Amino acid sequence: MSGHPTQGTPLLRIQDLCVSYPTPDGLKEVVRGVDLSVSRGERVALVGESGSGKSVTARSVLRLDSEARTSGRVLIDGQDVLEMNSKEVRRVRGARAGLVFQDPLASLNPVKTVGWQITQPLRIRGMGRREARRRAVDLLGRLGVADPARRFDDYPHQFSGGMRQRVVIAIAVIAEPQVLIADEPTTALDVQVQAQVLELLGELAQEKDMAVLLITHDLGIVAGFAQRVAVMRDGKLVEEGDVDRVYASPRHPYTRALLDAVPRIGDQPGRRLGTAAATADPVSVSPEGEEL
Amino acid sequence: MLSFIAQRLGMMILVLAGLITVTFLMTQVLPGDPARAAAGRNATVEQVDAARERLGLDQPVHEQYVSYVSRVAQGDLGTSVFTQRPVIEDIAQVLPSSVELVLAAMLINVAVALPLGVVSAYRRGKGADLSARLVALLGAAVPVFWLGLILQAFLSARWGLFPLTGHLGFGSSVPTVTGMTTVDALLAGDPSTFGEAISHLVLPAITLAAAYIAVVTRTLRSTMIGALDADYITLARATGASEWRVVISHGLRNALVPTSTILGMQLGWMLGSTVLVESIFGRVGVGAYSVTAVLQNDLYAVIGAVLVIGVVFILANFVVDLLQLWLNPRLRKGKRRERAGADESAAEASDLAGERT
Amino acid sequence: MSTTTPVPTRSAGLRNLLTRKGGNKQGHTTFVDRAALGVAGLMVLLALVGPYLAPMDPYAVDLAKSLTPPGSEHWMGTDANGRDILSRVLAGGRTTILATVAVIAVATVIGTLIGTAAALGGRIVDEILMRICDVGLSLPAIVVALGLAAAMGPSLQSAVIALAATWWPGYARLVRTLVRETRDAEFVESARVLGVSRTRLVLRHVLPNSLSALYVQTTLDVSAVMLVISGLSFVGVGAQVPASEWGAMIAASRDTAITAWWTVLFPGLAIALTAIAFNLVGDWLRVRTDPTLRTGGR
Repeated sequence: MSGHPTQGTPLLRIQDLCVSYPTPDGLKEVVRGVDLSVSRGERVALVGESGSGKSVTARSVLRLDSEARTSGRVLIDGQDVLEMNSKEVRRVRGARAGLVFQDPLASLNPVKTVGWQITQPLRIRGMGRREARRRAVDLLGRLGVADPARRFDDYPHQFSGGMRQRVVIAIAVIAEPQVLIADEPTTALDVQVQAQVLELLGELAQEKDMAVLLITHDLGIVAGFAQRVAVMRDGKLVEEGDVDRVYASPRHPYTRALLDAVPRIGDQPGRRLGTAAATADPVSVSPEGEEL
Repeated sequence: MLSFIAQRLGMMILVLAGLITVTFLMTQVLPGDPARAAAGRNATVEQVDAARERLGLDQPVHEQYVSYVSRVAQGDLGTSVFTQRPVIEDIAQVLPSSVELVLAAMLINVAVALPLGVVSAYRRGKGADLSARLVALLGAAVPVFWLGLILQAFLSARWGLFPLTGHLGFGSSVPTVTGMTTVDALLAGDPSTFGEAISHLVLPAITLAAAYIAVVTRTLRSTMIGALDADYITLARATGASEWRVVISHGLRNALVPTSTILGMQLGWMLGSTVLVESIFGRVGVGAYSVTAVLQNDLYAVIGAVLVIGVVFILANFVVDLLQLWLNPRLRKGKRRERAGADESAAEASDLAGERT
Repeated sequence: MSTTTPVPTRSAGLRNLLTRKGGNKQGHTTFVDRAALGVAGLMVLLALVGPYLAPMDPYAVDLAKSLTPPGSEHWMGTDANGRDILSRVLAGGRTTILATVAVIAVATVIGTLIGTAAALGGRIVDEILMRICDVGLSLPAIVVALGLAAAMGPSLQSAVIALAATWWPGYARLVRTLVRETRDAEFVESARVLGVSRTRLVLRHVLPNSLSALYVQTTLDVSAVMLVISGLSFVGVGAQVPASEWGAMIAASRDTAITAWWTVLFPGLAIALTAIAFNLVGDWLRVRTDPTLRTGGR
């Protein structure tokens, strides 16, 4: 887990992050000492099965769980988010670090127009209605939404799943954050749409030179997107490295198992798709761990 | 959207027909001779016969029903044996005062229940939540008429904070224009009389509102908890929105969809509950009118009041249904089937409708 | 039945209600729940033996003691006719509670019959019955009951009949939903395959399994019905003066309320206490029987 050479200073740096939640049986530690950094223009994937703590790590960057107890450091451009008061955290959210949510159906407010929702990050920072609208329409067009000026006033239920996810992405990037965290951005989408959405996300990131942290359980989508990959299990990173290196010669048996579970072109038809959990350690992983 | 309106319109007509049928049944189950009841206790034999003829009571039931419906459609609700005036005129005279009371109670209801429900949901399990739940529990259990008497006995009689009964103080009066004392006082440009009218309105309105505050607080608390747990709330936070904006613009705005249905239905229920409140505070109104009519054994007046309150109730519900179109965009433009949620609020609202007060 | 199929028996619904352990974190019985159960039980007991507990004759007029404030002799004071209020409250519980139970019982029976018929009677029957229910639910119960009771001639009996006649649609709708759910359940299917007759199926297997949610609803309705029935008594179409029904007691004392608060305070507290207790018990039952009940969380 040694540091890899990166371009410049990291924009997002997570140091020894521990997160635990109060449960009826006492505190439950979900993230146990994670170190991770993402530099400007870099794309890093955090991979793990559900329950591994990867989503909690993502949400901790913006301190979105009020119940969570956190320790360690989360530095965005050198400033520790965990040390900030609530007002300072709000200034980071949306403006310096954006978050793309997993489920586009549930994460849009059903009774507000998509335009209203997209312009919120700008409007709450004092931008005028007209200018915010202009930017939002531009961005929607940029994200491949047809006739964006008219669609601006539509409601989420009038959008398809893929289009809704573009709206969610627009909300995350409209205020031009330097850090973008995408938490399973394609899981809820059809396979064809998945590729499009990822591509768009990549293009946007490149354009604005953002630091991107992609959270996913699907190693299949990582290869074409990220430069570096970190593998997480039971709240800890088990392996980290360049995508090519990790794919070619995984060091940790769990990574190997995850990779084996990815269907690849040229696979023998009928070859059994094992889940990583079943292959690597049949005992300690819960049955919910398998989602492919 | 049009199909939604058509459906609600159809439902409204059906309910109106049901109401008229129910009131017709009331005229039929009158013990003894309905003609005698219509003519009044002290009527002469000729008067009773005239009433029998006029009401067509010698006809078969189905013909009586038809003529009843046509009379109601023309606004003929019979004649009060007590006031010797057409029931519809009596009620038209007192209805505005009831509407005034109901609107005042609704104002108090919203002003108390909305903040209480929101705070209770936001600070779940904390002190504010517990006190809100206590309010909900008490409000749902305290008899309206008893609350009125107790408030009157302590706040008015004992501590003199509010006037005891009536619409205005002794000796004050305003020319009747709308029939709502507060509005009439304003129209007359008389601020001190307006203040008097308001102070006379406060206790009856609180009494009427109490039970409804409980229901709204409880409904809002639970829908608000559901809304605050939604992903779009987390997303709103992730954009840097302030907690106030997250809770009000996102949380409350969504929770208002089912809550507004309840509030609208309550307008009708409140008008029904004036029966229990108005007479205590010596107010004129359709509730007091029907209570007097019951005591006078003036059955056509009672049935007329039931019919009028029922019609207002039904109209209020229809207006609220239309209001839903504005509050809930999923009803307005239904291009795409929703996975869930679209029907949820409607289901919940109709569910809550079963919870009557 | 002498088959080996594990078909739940007649009393399954009730038994589930009494024995099933609450699974979620709210399912455990708190102190408040115990207190509410205690009060509700006490009130039921009052309905049975209340009149025998009364220290004095609830109807004995003693004008010399008219409007005595609460004190050592009359714990709750006396009313305008010098009658002991404590005795009247104890005796009045029977009338109020039995009237409430009667309303709910009649409404439940009608509702269950109509709801079952709607669920199992085919599309057209279902449609007609449910529209009638919608109409019933769309009318203000207290006003319709007021009119009906006034028309039938003011008496407690009229009030009970009138209220039951306006209260059943809620139960009909609930029972319809419940029966439709169980109708499609596996054990019903297996009983059907085994050749159990339709009537028998409904009576022995479908209905009993639908009932626990109904029990919960009826418990929750106790307070609402009690408030309306005492309200009807208050406006004069229910129990008639001088009956010691709680609502009628308040009605009879309304003119003395301003000078002698105790004449209305105690009967009202009795109503409120009973209503609160039954509401709490209903909530407790709801969580206990089915934490995932659709109506839950309110």
